[in-house]
Amino acid sequence: MNRTSGSAASICMKAVDGSAPWYRRGRKYIVIYRSVVMENIQYVVNIAMGFLSYFIINFVMINLWDYMYGTSGEAIAGYGKEQMIWYVMITEMIWFGARGATVARQVSTDIRNGNIVYMVNKPYYYPFYVMAKYTGEWSVQLPMYAGLAVVMGMAMVGRLPGFRAAALPAVILCVILGITINAGFKLCISLLSFWIEDAHPFQWLYDKLILVIGVIFPIEIFPEKLQPFFRLTPIYTVCYGPAKLVVDFSGEKCMEILCAQLLYVLAGGILIYLVYRKGVKKLYVNGG
Amino acid sequence: MLTAVKNQLWVCLLSVKYNIMREMTNRFTFVTNIVFMMLNNAAFIVQWVILFKMRGEIGGYTMREIMLLWGLTASSYGLSHILFARAFTLHELIVNGKLDAYLVLPKSVLLSVMTSASEASSIGDFLYGLVVMCLFCFSVGRLFLFLLFTVTGALIMTALALLAGSLSFWFVRSEMVGVHVVNTMISFSTYPDGIFHGTARFLLYFVIPVGMAVYWPVHVMVSFDLAMFLKVVGYTVFLMAAAVYVFYRGLKRYSSGNLMEARM
Amino acid sequence: MEAIRVQDLSKTFRVRQKEKGLKGSIRSVLHPRSEEIRAVDEVSFTVEEGEILAFIGPNGAGKSTTIKMLTGILYPDGGKLEVLGIDPTKRRKELAYQIGTVFGQKEQLWTHLTPYDNFRFFGAIYDIPEKETEARIKELGELFELGAFINTPVRGLSLGQRMRCEFAASLIHKPKVLFLDEPTIGLDPVVKETIRSLIKQMNRQLHTTIFLTSHDVGDIEKLCERIIIINAGSVVMDDSMEHLKDIHTSGMSLENMIVEIYKAEGRTVSV
Repeated sequence: MNRTSGSAASICMKAVDGSAPWYRRGRKYIVIYRSVVMENIQYVVNIAMGFLSYFIINFVMINLWDYMYGTSGEAIAGYGKEQMIWYVMITEMIWFGARGATVARQVSTDIRNGNIVYMVNKPYYYPFYVMAKYTGEWSVQLPMYAGLAVVMGMAMVGRLPGFRAAALPAVILCVILGITINAGFKLCISLLSFWIEDAHPFQWLYDKLILVIGVIFPIEIFPEKLQPFFRLTPIYTVCYGPAKLVVDFSGEKCMEILCAQLLYVLAGGILIYLVYRKGVKKLYVNGG
Repeated sequence: MLTAVKNQLWVCLLSVKYNIMREMTNRFTFVTNIVFMMLNNAAFIVQWVILFKMRGEIGGYTMREIMLLWGLTASSYGLSHILFARAFTLHELIVNGKLDAYLVLPKSVLLSVMTSASEASSIGDFLYGLVVMCLFCFSVGRLFLFLLFTVTGALIMTALALLAGSLSFWFVRSEMVGVHVVNTMISFSTYPDGIFHGTARFLLYFVIPVGMAVYWPVHVMVSFDLAMFLKVVGYTVFLMAAAVYVFYRGLKRYSSGNLMEARM
Repeated sequence: MEAIRVQDLSKTFRVRQKEKGLKGSIRSVLHPRSEEIRAVDEVSFTVEEGEILAFIGPNGAGKSTTIKMLTGILYPDGGKLEVLGIDPTKRRKELAYQIGTVFGQKEQLWTHLTPYDNFRFFGAIYDIPEKETEARIKELGELFELGAFINTPVRGLSLGQRMRCEFAASLIHKPKVLFLDEPTIGLDPVVKETIRSLIKQMNRQLHTTIFLTSHDVGDIEKLCERIIIINAGSVVMDDSMEHLKDIHTSGMSLENMIVEIYKAEGRTVSV
């Protein structure tokens, strides 16, 4: 996998020299993105194998909520049964569709085995390179999971009451931003590998925070006192926001979530910039 | 015969000891792996606290039984990955022809392979299960049963992984099956069986053996039932025997070079 | 006494054919076509106890397949096979106690342990009582001059030191036959020289039979008394080193000679 993207990068190197204007220099990331997409299309079969896990998790969740709602079907935390299950299916779709080894494993490995030294000196900004590559990965996977989610939802849960197709573009934008924010945080954790040997345990904790609070439940289910706090965490922008818009859309809510996401993109970007700069500095001092 | 068994066990023990020593090369990493894995598992307590706020019992389980379920799953998974981690990545060894190294040793190929790696984080899983069990429903008898069922659970998971991994002896592209089978088992085994009906229930006992690995043991720990206890033990022996048989059948295929195309 | 006896040994692999491109992939799923490759074709030879034999040939000639059959990793489809009087296909484990293997580049040592701990582990694998293992470690430590680093974790050793430990580990159980597959690959000339003198020493002092494959002409020239060349699955030459040098008095180097023989591809070369 590395080799192909490596060659894509070297093509960019020839095409763009350092004095080119910014929009031409930015093109390299699109080329990286495109070559990863092409590459991943070949792994469609492997991606489809992951469907099984997605199916099982949703199957368990459907059974769980069926049981929890019982026969009365009273709303829980303001969600009807269909809404609740669709919410979980959407967040799980983001969870599975955005899975990718690049931000979590690849970066740590690059740093630990010293490959980073060669990448720092390439004419691209390493964090952008990683993000472009990662985006190439999920843009093949996510639509496949989305298709599966729709088929499974329609077959096993039924139509979502009050769903508005017109809201879809806004929802998709939210999903994309959410995944990017998530990737940013995961990248930041991976960059910790500059200082510690194994950053994976920190990834697990971050993942579980997102999973337990944002993926398997909507935030409204938690005690009211905790909710304002959760709204400040990345959970709100990564998975709760997009899924909430699918099951219960309102223009006001959409604006609120988009604003929060933009703030997070900005903050995440600055954080990556600072951590990466510090890491590279350490690299030059200690020689890897 | 007896000394042969003793020697074999001694070698396995040494292997596991050296594996753990390897994981301990960096103390900080070793400890964070264990502690964070325990925290990672503990995060799910939140899920059940929330769910039990809505209903007093779920699928016939109260918080105590759910924690027992979780604890047993974690400890079984942990134990199997401390002792037999390689069983879970068997396909990789088969497809890349890496069993050669074990075939020139005068010991059981299967045991040498299985015990050739350990996962530090699974020590966290194992300990987490024990802690949960002791915090939520401790009694001496139950602890004893818990440890015993951890062993049967670990063996069932390992046998399942071996069966799935051995598929690679026949079908090179079956690599992902093993991972998914074990993941599926874990997904089911952390939810009460009472929420599943019909076909799903059938699957949980006859296709993915979650029932024998976790549900029955929890039942026995809550109220002792000798017949069920024996059934768990019997099933474990049966599944392990089946896994060993299939592995050695596959190994014959490996030795006859039918997998060479994958390596050339 | 014969250490190895091979008669009409054969091994055929079935290799699936795949056409290029997506269409080809789909076609090969629907109508799999396979081709048989005779990797080893009626090979016969014997090796005497205490001999150092070079078993060489170009890549893909069938060397590894033959070694794998001799050590019980692969089963032959035809012919007879005996190592130390044992049929490796039937009594693999029993044979394992009496042979040793060193595969260059494939490490068998645990890198986080010291050589000493590694040797103790191998001692346990071969069911050697602890006292005996200790004595053996001392003996091998002296022979291979491991004293200075026997208590340093293997990952901290230089490649040469590491190879010396690899050899020592594979000798812990006093094997009668040692299979060496490219033992000097990737080593610098000095270390190569050390390894070669070790092999010679092993052979002389412990009377170990040595079955060696290598692409390194130096290994062959400096170590072996006899040379078997295999090409396209068949033995194309089996002769003593001395004899070989005698006939080629034309000043042709061994390297060039081997190249000529490889080029003759499969045809029996009369020397």
